[in-house]
Amino acid sequence: MRKMLDALYILSGVLSAGFIALICLVTSAQVLLNLIAKVLGPEYTYSIPSYADFAGFFLASASFLALAYTLTRGGHIRVTLMIQVFNPRLRLASEVFSLTFGALITGFATCYMIRLNIDSYTYGDLSFGIIAIPLWLPQLAVSAGLGILTIAFVDLTWQTLRAGAPVLKNSESE
Amino acid sequence: MSDPMIMLSLLVVLLGLLSIGVWVAIALMSVGIFAMVFFSSAPVGQVLATTIWGQSHSWALAALPLFILMGEILLRSRLSEDMFKGLSPWLGRLPGRLLHVNILGCAIFAAVSGSSAATAATIGKMSVPELKRRGYPERLVIGTLAGSATLGLLIPPSIILIVYGVATDQSIARLFIAGILPGLMLVGMFGGYVIIRALLNPALIPREDAQFTLMQKIKSSRRLIPVIALIAAVIGSILAGIASPTDAAALGVVFSLILAGASGTFSRKMLAEAIMGATVTSAMIAFILAGAAFLTVSMGFTGIPRNLAAWIGSYNLSPLALLAALTVFFVLLGCFLDGISVVVLTTSIIMPMISNAGIDPLWFGIYLVIVVEMSQITPPVGFNLFVIQGLTGINILSIARSALPFFILLLVAVGLIIVWPQIVTYLPGLMNR
Repeated sequence: MRKMLDALYILSGVLSAGFIALICLVTSAQVLLNLIAKVLGPEYTYSIPSYADFAGFFLASASFLALAYTLTRGGHIRVTLMIQVFNPRLRLASEVFSLTFGALITGFATCYMIRLNIDSYTYGDLSFGIIAIPLWLPQLAVSAGLGILTIAFVDLTWQTLRAGAPVLKNSESE
Repeated sequence: MSDPMIMLSLLVVLLGLLSIGVWVAIALMSVGIFAMVFFSSAPVGQVLATTIWGQSHSWALAALPLFILMGEILLRSRLSEDMFKGLSPWLGRLPGRLLHVNILGCAIFAAVSGSSAATAATIGKMSVPELKRRGYPERLVIGTLAGSATLGLLIPPSIILIVYGVATDQSIARLFIAGILPGLMLVGMFGGYVIIRALLNPALIPREDAQFTLMQKIKSSRRLIPVIALIAAVIGSILAGIASPTDAAALGVVFSLILAGASGTFSRKMLAEAIMGATVTSAMIAFILAGAAFLTVSMGFTGIPRNLAAWIGSYNLSPLALLAALTVFFVLLGCFLDGISVVVLTTSIIMPMISNAGIDPLWFGIYLVIVVEMSQITPPVGFNLFVIQGLTGINILSIARSALPFFILLLVAVGLIIVWPQIVTYLPGLMNR
């Protein structure tokens, strides 16, 4: 179970990195095509259909699939000013509260995101570009990402309770 | 309950959640949920889902992971080592000498990384031991580092300006361009301060005896020049209007990969680290943006920001008085929150007040970023202070004291752009033609 969950976080993180690479690929390919048209003349104008839509959908997938991976690596920002002066018992209580609270809020968001996702599927919502992309497809990545984040919050709450101390290391970044 | 009271209690809930360690994005989202449940009759869950989805797939925001990735790649390609070697031969004659390496190094690195904590860490790791060894005064070494590292927020491509642009629907390209002159102005002011200090007390600065010919200078900075050219090309293509920020960012990634590959020290493992690092950072920012976007929408449903703006408006404050009050407020807020959170909170609640007062949102973005820069070097939660403390082991209060002159210079810069808003708006104005 432990191994499976850790693998899930890493897998979704790597998938997300793949989507960022795809954004870069699609965008730079289009810039190259623009350059070709500039150099050879307007009759050589090609464009990747709906490339901006694709980049946006890749972005949504990348951002949300990486949420749990980011959480488990201490990447999400929190204010540590107060909690680092708490005594161990208070620190444990605040950690368990924060994690449970996170699980509740993301769980709530996940439920409604899945409902939106199902609606998009049933009504066959499409994007407006030249290539009409069914919206449920990129939304699936957002729902899945939020769902995995909820799982990670529950998982971390459990781990923290069992260890009797915070298990997440904190990042002190901007 | 009156609106200012509601606003106050929501702010108390938010700060309470944050102080016991709830993640910023979660705290923003939950305050949005409370506000909607208690002060409006809209369907909370549906609005939450559509907002999360609606703001997460924008083309403009796609620039964010790409610029972060560009920085992560360049970070790993020995850039910081080259920075000192490449810059110092040029600066030996200037009053203040190698202290300017800190300022210029930070300015260049700021353009690459877009984050001030990373800038302080990377430049400081090289320059602090080197400058101390040569006998430069510790206070000025630490001060120039802490102050100049904040430039990372302003000099394009800047992550925080992308966040502001997406959150307020401003053109990111115009924001980037608007940041150029104030950024250069600050570099000049910081450099000027060091020159004045050096002229007033020449004994302060150790002598540099090594003389370099022009060819030697160029040779020692040969690895720095391609990086500067890359940055110039990225910013230039946006300024010239031939590339959107997202296009420019994608090209930036491709060229930084080529540069890193050519340096011969960039391994496949480093590439994997760079892309996973970029994934984490951009997911973190995207999540905060999602939380902030929902808070904005929820605040819109409750009507609080509009009423608050009207309430403030009823006092007939001049824009100057309003800005003075806001500056104090932001610096205080920045003592407890990181820059990105300050920006997104502002845009959720304060923007109606700004447009009511007739303040240009483009100008306000640059103003906000400079004020956030100030908060990066004020205790107790200036991130640059933490980074430099980690780097040098010096007490945080004494670092803050070293950084104080630079805090004052940033305050002066805020005054300058209030008196002459053209410093901000001139270059973006040229883009229209």
